[in-house]
Amino acid sequence: MDHETFERRLVVLFTAVVALLAVLAVRLWQVQVVQGDYFARLADENRLRVTSVAAPRGLIIDRAGRPLVVNRPAFTVALMPTEMVRPDEEIPRVARLLSMDPADIRQRLAAGRERPFEPVRLRRDVPKDVIAAIEESRMDLPGVLIEIEPVRDYLYRELGAHMLGYLGEISDADLRRFRADGYEAGDLIGKAGVERVYDRYLRGRSGELQAEVDAMGRLSRTLRTIPAVPGDTLVLGIDLPMQQAAEAALGNRLGAVVAMDPQTGAVEAWVSHPAFDPDLFSTGIHARDWNALLHDPRQPLIDRAAQAGYPTGSVFKIVTATAALELGLVNAGTGFYDPGYYNLNGRIFHDNANEAFGHLSFLQAIAVSSNVVFWTIGRAVGPEHISEYAHLYGLGSRTGVDLPDEIAGVVPDPAWKRRVYHQPWYGGDTLNTAVGQGYVLVTPIQAARMVAAVANGGTLVTPHIAVEIRAPGGQVVERIAPPPAGHVPLGPQTLATLRAGLAAVVTRGTATSIQIPGLAVAGKTGTAESGHGKPYAWFVGYAPADDPKLVVVAMVEHAGYGAEFAAPIVQRVLEAAFGLTPAAQPGDPKP
Amino acid sequence: MSAATAAAPAALDAPRSRRRRLVRNLDPLLLGSTAVLVAFGLLMVYSTTRSMPHPLAYTRSQMLHLMIGVGVGIVLVAADYRTLAAGWRWLYVANLLMLAAVLVIGRSSLGAQRWIPLGPLGQFQPSELAKLVLVITLAKHLADRPGPYRSVADLVPFLAHVAVPMVLIFRQPDLGTALVYGAIFAGMLFAGGARRRDLAALGAAACLVSPVLWHVLKEYQRRRLLVFLDPSLDPRGAGYGIIQSKIAVGSGLLWGKGLFAGTQNLLQFVPEHHTDFIFSVIGEELGFLGGLALLAVFLVWLWRGVRTAAVARDRFGALAAVGIVSMVAFHVFVNVGMTVGIMPITGIPLPFISYGGSALMTMLWATALLLNIGMRRQRILF
Repeated sequence: MDHETFERRLVVLFTAVVALLAVLAVRLWQVQVVQGDYFARLADENRLRVTSVAAPRGLIIDRAGRPLVVNRPAFTVALMPTEMVRPDEEIPRVARLLSMDPADIRQRLAAGRERPFEPVRLRRDVPKDVIAAIEESRMDLPGVLIEIEPVRDYLYRELGAHMLGYLGEISDADLRRFRADGYEAGDLIGKAGVERVYDRYLRGRSGELQAEVDAMGRLSRTLRTIPAVPGDTLVLGIDLPMQQAAEAALGNRLGAVVAMDPQTGAVEAWVSHPAFDPDLFSTGIHARDWNALLHDPRQPLIDRAAQAGYPTGSVFKIVTATAALELGLVNAGTGFYDPGYYNLNGRIFHDNANEAFGHLSFLQAIAVSSNVVFWTIGRAVGPEHISEYAHLYGLGSRTGVDLPDEIAGVVPDPAWKRRVYHQPWYGGDTLNTAVGQGYVLVTPIQAARMVAAVANGGTLVTPHIAVEIRAPGGQVVERIAPPPAGHVPLGPQTLATLRAGLAAVVTRGTATSIQIPGLAVAGKTGTAESGHGKPYAWFVGYAPADDPKLVVVAMVEHAGYGAEFAAPIVQRVLEAAFGLTPAAQPGDPKP
Repeated sequence: MSAATAAAPAALDAPRSRRRRLVRNLDPLLLGSTAVLVAFGLLMVYSTTRSMPHPLAYTRSQMLHLMIGVGVGIVLVAADYRTLAAGWRWLYVANLLMLAAVLVIGRSSLGAQRWIPLGPLGQFQPSELAKLVLVITLAKHLADRPGPYRSVADLVPFLAHVAVPMVLIFRQPDLGTALVYGAIFAGMLFAGGARRRDLAALGAAACLVSPVLWHVLKEYQRRRLLVFLDPSLDPRGAGYGIIQSKIAVGSGLLWGKGLFAGTQNLLQFVPEHHTDFIFSVIGEELGFLGGLALLAVFLVWLWRGVRTAAVARDRFGALAAVGIVSMVAFHVFVNVGMTVGIMPITGIPLPFISYGGSALMTMLWATALLLNIGMRRQRILF
């Protein structure tokens, strides 16, 4: 082989070398320049970890600033999988301490295997004695971490539970609805009460921790911290001592108590019994507890003040009286004769107590709650007019209170009965409706709004639990003062007669037992047949009678006479509200 | 060109004027490009290891090997390269013994047995030096049997020459180095005058044998080859290195993230980023332009290597130069190609740059041999 051939082959060889380097250069161009931005993004995704920092949920305080719902620091036990020395011994040990199943812990660890340097949460809200036990055997439990996280704390447990509500993990349906507002899967969201209605104020904005991590997920440095913004404080119209008095007054009985400012609609007490402990939900409710609540025949999850309708009995006479007065059929002095029964085309209707009041004026009829008189004028007014005035008082429609799942109740009339029951309206239906029996269904908050309209001169206020939203710093973000839903056209004569009648109920009528020295109370008792068991006891009232500051409604299921079972509750709430020490009970209440 | 069988006078014994002429004959571009590559290599080794517990440990070790390499290299330049050729058979046998020794007493690492422990001196990777020994002995072998080669059969002795150490290395197992032997063999035989059709036949035969080799490969080697075809097959396992390396190189963009500022480097996303994957850090920190500049320096080096072959005074020197060029070119292509996903991961270091004493010294000595051959080119004989 001559040198010329050799040199030619060297040229070929060198050309091949140049070609190989050219291939590399082209490939580098392709990767670094053409696709460079793509890889640069991947490099950033590699190193940047964004973890969210939970925002403390806004506080809920009463009108005087007394905290009702706060957040308490709770211990969360987590495990750093890579730091365990002998997992086979440690996992069962940790499981025993936390009363968990070792298999459950292994499953959680397996789920977190992608990020070996991020702690895996095992249990939230671990009791202090368990934490102490873990601290004691710290040396034998490498990799076990104890972190502090905020957990919702309902300071008074069952107090006002329905009105306050509770938290739960966001449902798929809510997630679809609210995703645009920044909710994410796994977030806690208000499930009931004001926790739900004002969730967007209370939840705050979670912060962000942007950090650089290495290939093993270990923190290299923190790049950016966006602090969490705590939720706004929700100020309620609730007055804690009044709420406590109302809770205590209702006691173990089933029912509801509502106290409200008749001028503004601000709710000052809201009780529904039986209640539940919202704390049960704060760290995720146990299936056992949930099932117990769900299947309890007393239905503790139902808010009896707004989510259940009841016949009101004589409380409804306010409607019938208003209609008769406004239609000019009666006035305060119109005389009646009550023989103790009413003859409807040959059918005899007896008054409850079978009591014959004899001769009495319309005003007296209100005070003593004569059914015979109201049957009489009910017939004269007619079912359409009764229904019309009931609707003017806001019965049959939601009050718009700031709580979820309120119901509208029922105000019957012939058209309604035809539509719902496919039956004609009978004379007896008119008699029943006129005294709040039969088909009438009213929620306690509706009753409160109706009485408020009498107290304030006809304004149909919109009840509201919350009165103000404040930033965490204390500045007012929003005042909550919903406009009235309407106006009940009450002439001065009508108003005067109604007020005089309601005042007479307490001064010389059915509820004399609840007189409070130094406080003029006006109101109306109601005892509504429930169809089974004892009747529903009602009392709706306001005070002071001449300058109403507070409306209080009490309803007790299957209790008996309103004067006996509901009126004393209202009395105690009023005493608490007006700072009057309860006087010695003046004997047994009169039925 | 004829084989120089007679030992030429050693340079050290030459008169002073001749020595000076020899020194003047040193290729400045080859020397310069080597110096640039080595210095750049030290810098990058520092960049990739400075966040480790002992920031200077690797760089210091690499520097130590550099000094030993240069010291021995000076002797290799000074002594006439033809003295190396004289004892080629002993060299060849010693090489085989060394490779066999690795299999017996070698230290295992990453599933392969490649290192011989040298006590306080660290460890030695014979397969690196064996590449250079193969170049020298094969060059001598080809010079002694100058052809013409008229058939594949005429190539069989050379094939056997290469096959024995190749099998030993393949057994370590070290697929990459075995392939380097193939590249050296192909380059030297082509330059040595083998017919194209015979080389093509050998290539075809190699392709036919490769399915058999597939079964000989270790599981991890097969996985590496499979993920080369599709890294997403095992993105957290075997495909991880390829994916992270491409991300590193690609994210360097045109200008790079700056020296010492590569996030893929600092945060250890690229495995083996100071050894086999060092180019991924070069690409990340110095960008497309930095990578291109490095390739340009390699091109200068390889050009001077080919030039050395062209001016060599004898067939042995010329073919040895070709072997060295083939070796280095193949290393550069496979190593850089691996970091950008056009070559499978085979564990071949980037010459002069990757951390690793055996490889660095081997490359320095190969350069010394090139300088030696170039220095004693024909002209100085007159």
